[in-house]
Amino acid sequence: MDKRGARFGTIVALVAVVFSLRSAPAGAQAVPKQLRIAVGIDADTLDPAGQTTTTVANMVDYFFETLVDMDYAKNEVGPRLATQWQTSRDGLTYTFQLRQGVTFHDGTPMTAAAVKSTFDRLLDPKTKVPLRGALLAGIKTVDVVDDTTVRFSMSQPNPLLLRNLTYTTTAIISPAALARAGDRFGLAPVGAGTGPYTFKEWRRGESILVERTPTYWGKKPSFEEVLFQVVPDAGTRETMVLAGNVHLAMLPPAPDIKNLRKNPRVTLVEAATDRVIFLAMNNQWGPFKDARVRQAMNYAINKKALLTSILFDLGTVEASACPAMMFGHSPMQEGGWPYDPAKAKQLLAEAGYRDGFDVEFLAPKGRYIQDFEFAQGAAAQLRNVKIRATVSTMDWPTYVATITQPVDRSRTQLFILGWAWVVLDCDGVLFGQFHSSQQPPSGLASAFYKSEKVDDLLVKARTTVDVAQRATLYKDAQTQIWNDAPWVFLWSQKWYVATVKNLEGVHITPIEKWDAIYATWK
Amino acid sequence: MGRYIVHRLALALLTLVGVTVVIFLLIRLIPGDPARIIAGLLASDDEVRRLRVDLGLTHPLHVQYLIFFTGLLHGNLGISAATRAPVLEEIALRLRPTVLLAVSSIAVATLMGLAAGIVSATRRYSILDYVAMTLAVLGVSIPVFWLGLMLMLLFAVYLHWLPAGGYGTPASFILPTIALAAFSMGIIARITRSSLLETLSQDYVRTARAKGVPRHGVVLRHALKNALIPVLTVIGLQFGTLLGGAVLTETTFAWPGMGRLLVNSILSRDYPVIQGIVLTFAAMFAVVNLLIDLLYAYVDPRIHYG
Repeated sequence: MDKRGARFGTIVALVAVVFSLRSAPAGAQAVPKQLRIAVGIDADTLDPAGQTTTTVANMVDYFFETLVDMDYAKNEVGPRLATQWQTSRDGLTYTFQLRQGVTFHDGTPMTAAAVKSTFDRLLDPKTKVPLRGALLAGIKTVDVVDDTTVRFSMSQPNPLLLRNLTYTTTAIISPAALARAGDRFGLAPVGAGTGPYTFKEWRRGESILVERTPTYWGKKPSFEEVLFQVVPDAGTRETMVLAGNVHLAMLPPAPDIKNLRKNPRVTLVEAATDRVIFLAMNNQWGPFKDARVRQAMNYAINKKALLTSILFDLGTVEASACPAMMFGHSPMQEGGWPYDPAKAKQLLAEAGYRDGFDVEFLAPKGRYIQDFEFAQGAAAQLRNVKIRATVSTMDWPTYVATITQPVDRSRTQLFILGWAWVVLDCDGVLFGQFHSSQQPPSGLASAFYKSEKVDDLLVKARTTVDVAQRATLYKDAQTQIWNDAPWVFLWSQKWYVATVKNLEGVHITPIEKWDAIYATWK
Repeated sequence: MGRYIVHRLALALLTLVGVTVVIFLLIRLIPGDPARIIAGLLASDDEVRRLRVDLGLTHPLHVQYLIFFTGLLHGNLGISAATRAPVLEEIALRLRPTVLLAVSSIAVATLMGLAAGIVSATRRYSILDYVAMTLAVLGVSIPVFWLGLMLMLLFAVYLHWLPAGGYGTPASFILPTIALAAFSMGIIARITRSSLLETLSQDYVRTARAKGVPRHGVVLRHALKNALIPVLTVIGLQFGTLLGGAVLTETTFAWPGMGRLLVNSILSRDYPVIQGIVLTFAAMFAVVNLLIDLLYAYVDPRIHYG
């Protein structure tokens, strides 16, 4: 062996030594006292009323509870702090019987008075409640009937009310704890909840710590403490779960998903959600005014190919504007609009665009799974039918400012948007995205689609109590929207977390939350 | 000297007032509505409008600036639009991790950089020189997020020696310090080498050698001290930059520092926090620069201020 070979041999030996030093991965260990979860963002507020972001609400759910709970397996509303409820025939009165013997973490009892004060606060315009309009529409007053009974009186029926009351925003707060915390309630809601875990400490920018509630009324979780660690970088979250520094990491990098699915040291938990991803066309802009052009756009894009090759199958092609798990969903066409470039060309020719046209295509970067990346793929497919799309991106606040310009000032032509609602009902996506009253600046129906028929159906659907009738109204609305094609209908996204192998019983809910309160260690 | 310091501080104060105006206008020039971003896409227009009033965004610009500036004179940087906590508190929470990381990185970078620079200069064109200068070039040119991820893979995922990310234990400092120090170390090493080489070729060094001063004495006592001025300048600039928070390092290592807070605030258009942080950075930079200038006088007695 010559000298250089010897030197190389030494290096190899050194590397071998270094790698032999690696200790065994965290297997066959005792149950850790603390479950550590890597989250991508820090909270802005821990006040349930102030929630805007699902991941933050997800953490708040550990220590606050709502009146009713969503059973995603059965897709129906179940009991939580309320054990039973009755709805009046006209849909104007709801009466809730509260669970008895529940105390807040500060020791005060959870009573009808506490429920009333929670909702009085939510309805008070002085309280910052970003989702007020979305969740509390129609509630006139909330009254104490007796110590364990409350009555909600409505100014108009709201068929969504029960589902809305499952969302974090409406969680019940201890009036005593709220008064004690004053202005700092959102930063340190000490003792204010009833949940299986109790809020302990929020180190801003770093972590949130909760500990098991000794006096919890329901089933006790396995872990004594849960630490939510703020890890903004997806690659770092993945590394931390691989190193065993955390036990669960939300949203590892999408391009690594295939490897993680095969990695024996971690479990990838993934599930479909209600977030629809679509290309919004400005229906008031040039070629997109013509429904045939919009239909051609739908024929020109191969959704399945984009999903498989660019999104690593982290999505499901949607068969309607309202995604599959929503109440009122009605599939229009399995597998979405078929991929048919010839048909697209024919429709374009009929509309007078035999030579295609130029279009500005806006895509965010890192907001939705592989967004900017699949925009390139979609643009390439559009080029095959002579639609010349130029993809560009901008930071999120600028993006939002751009797509929320009113129609006379809007410069948008084609852009990516994802829309998810916090409760599983078609109202959230259809009314918000297609009712003409919701066009910017008053809402985010930024495709500027307008159909009197759809407007009419959607208003009826949100005030009708009868379930079967609502389903029919939504079916009609979805049919009209599907055929008018104001969007290029794409897919609904999956949501996913990676956990260490020992952690079991972690689920993903359809509203982009992880469900790990009752996870166990094996 | 005393008068010089007062003069410099007064100038720094004036600069800071300029900074308030520039940053105030600059962040309002970039598009994006803070109220809409903070309230989220699902918030109704009423809520967004109410928030806009709450945040004081409905006042004309000059009124907004006056409110901000009057608050500043009272030592009040305002309230974060996102968390509703005082901006001073938000900054204070992140200052410690940032300063600690900056100090440990600049210490490591200075020690290693100086050592590598001295070795390269005195053993020019030797294998040690090549190794040191290759490392220096790598340190300057490897992107910190990549270096960070590689360090994590080796020391956290394979070896299980150190945590991959997070802040707190002494062990958690090691990887971010190395990742962050690499760049400064490279620059310090290169500047030390070239500056020292230049000094070593001067007449007085030859004289010192001729009269029989031991080699290390010549280098360390006679040459190094004279070669140090440009090195100090670079160390000062590097330290000022590190104090400004290392966004990429902080993001890669989940470090709860100022750089990340600044980027998050920009992404949520949290004007009061952006203003507060930029002002803090500017103030720290001014102080570090002043200290470095004073150090010149110590290193080179020919320089004096007055």
